[in-house]
Amino acid sequence: MGATIAEKILGSHAGNRTARAGDVVVAGVDFAMLHDGRASNALKRIEQLGAKKLPFASRTAFVADHYSPPPHPEAANIHREMRAFADQHGAVLYDVGDGICHQVLPEGGHLTCGDLVVGTDTHSTTYGAFNAFGTGVEGTDLSAVMMTGKLWFRVPETIRVDLKGRLQAGVWAKDVTLHMLGRLGAEGANYKAIEYAGPAVAAMEIDDRMTLANHAAELGAKAALLEADEKTFAWLKVHGARAPRPVTADADARYCQRMEIDAARLPPQVARRHHIDDVVGVPEVEKQRINYALIGTCTNGRLDDLRQAAQILKGKRIARGVRMIVTPASRQVWLAAAREGLIEALTAAGASVEAAGCGTCVNITGHLITGDGDVVISSANRNFKGRLGNDNSEIFIGSAATVAASALTGHITDPRTVDGGTWRPASKAA
Amino acid sequence: MNMIRGKARLLGDDINTDLHCSSKYHPGRDNAYVARHAFEQLAPGFAGRFGKGDVIVAGRNFGNNSSREQAVHILRLMGVGAIVATSFGRQFFRNCINNGLLVVECDPAGVVEGDDIEVDLGDGRVAIAARGIVREAPQLPGEVLAILAAGGLIPFLKAHPDWQVQPPAASRQPPATVQRS
Repeated sequence: MGATIAEKILGSHAGNRTARAGDVVVAGVDFAMLHDGRASNALKRIEQLGAKKLPFASRTAFVADHYSPPPHPEAANIHREMRAFADQHGAVLYDVGDGICHQVLPEGGHLTCGDLVVGTDTHSTTYGAFNAFGTGVEGTDLSAVMMTGKLWFRVPETIRVDLKGRLQAGVWAKDVTLHMLGRLGAEGANYKAIEYAGPAVAAMEIDDRMTLANHAAELGAKAALLEADEKTFAWLKVHGARAPRPVTADADARYCQRMEIDAARLPPQVARRHHIDDVVGVPEVEKQRINYALIGTCTNGRLDDLRQAAQILKGKRIARGVRMIVTPASRQVWLAAAREGLIEALTAAGASVEAAGCGTCVNITGHLITGDGDVVISSANRNFKGRLGNDNSEIFIGSAATVAASALTGHITDPRTVDGGTWRPASKAA
Repeated sequence: MNMIRGKARLLGDDINTDLHCSSKYHPGRDNAYVARHAFEQLAPGFAGRFGKGDVIVAGRNFGNNSSREQAVHILRLMGVGAIVATSFGRQFFRNCINNGLLVVECDPAGVVEGDDIEVDLGDGRVAIAARGIVREAPQLPGEVLAILAAGGLIPFLKAHPDWQVQPPAASRQPPATVQRS
């Protein structure tokens, strides 16, 4: 019987054994990540473990992204501890303004196809865009990896999702992930890996593939895995990654569930207030007025997301009564956006463009707290009541294009119905 | 024999422990503060009623969308002996194993607040003698039982830095009910 991508990666990292769903393996990890939202606990666990040496420290990145810049003394002090620790043990440090952990890790060339990567964040599934098994762990796990380079994993079952056809112009990976949340429910893929495949995935550029893998975290997925292709190899090479060891699923791999998505018929989607799995097509909520439009986060803060917004807003103004905040996912994205004139275009249109970081994803960052009655449309990943610091406020979730189109009109808007809303990125040759 | 006996303390479905049992949204508050207020939005006075060794009995997705390990430390601080729930959020479940907190997937139907409940991990059984409830719980893999038996991953690795996993012996010490955070 053949193996899934998850079974192959975990098996190959556990002494080249055959691993099947349900097995527990102890596997070597290729790279690990710790961010400032979890550093306090992780550093305590590392101290508690009391290892004499931390040989894996050089393959660990410490990232200051959630509290960038720190909004209270606790955060500022944890940053000081992170810097000191990284310096002492030789860990990689990404400091305030460098960007979100899930963006800087691939950009920094720290992972490649076939890798096993752990991070202290549920959205570590993002690395699956690069055909790597990326999963969220916590401080105790990280201390184990830092000392031994290994960690225990239960091999997950895999849900296979085939995207048939090609997404329409103006429809993006975020609309696919929202559709999945509507179909399976939040945590509907709890404990499972998801394999995304099909022509619509192959047609996605890397930025959108990262969205596809990233937002699987809200399904409760342990990992989200895409196959690698020339686009993957080219991107990784430009970013200085190790040689890729791509992994594909066997034709006779066993899946616990198979799903198909008719990509060509998928319209833009929105998750309605308070529930990430209360998903409807955008037309159903088009009368909903909004007064905040947010673009950014590890889910949709990349160059193609900013390009979507600029295509819609360049030369125009956002609607009266709307505040728009744009937070590029990394310093690299910020600079690339600046070179293309996107920062100017969005700022001139009335948006506020921030330095890179987690930004307006969640109120703990201190970037945005909403007022009573505020209605937000955001490209972020979660929208539970109170996520932006005010229970008396509502958050809708959509793609960057949907957010930008909504900012333009002042109410939730299908990007395909506005100028620039059907822009597609030019497909990059290798 | 990994056996926990305590009073059942009920919670519902889809409990987000990041939200209800961590300082994620309360920067600067220590674990003791969070423990005193744990779950109060869902069940006022819950922490005050909770006795050392009591068992949380909950529904679907306990630890839903919850990845913070600190929540487990707070549950240990409260003296939680075990958690029995229909299902668990993946990362929360993992964090419990890593911190030696017994977690058992089992249908809680029929359990009433304050019932004397017995959780036997060795036999894979949850029982409330007074109500004649005896339910099977799925067996955890040997490696996971070994980590639980050691009291969590850190004590396990201190004893076995090479990850040599032995299936637990027939009689084991139960994990400590209070762990320093």
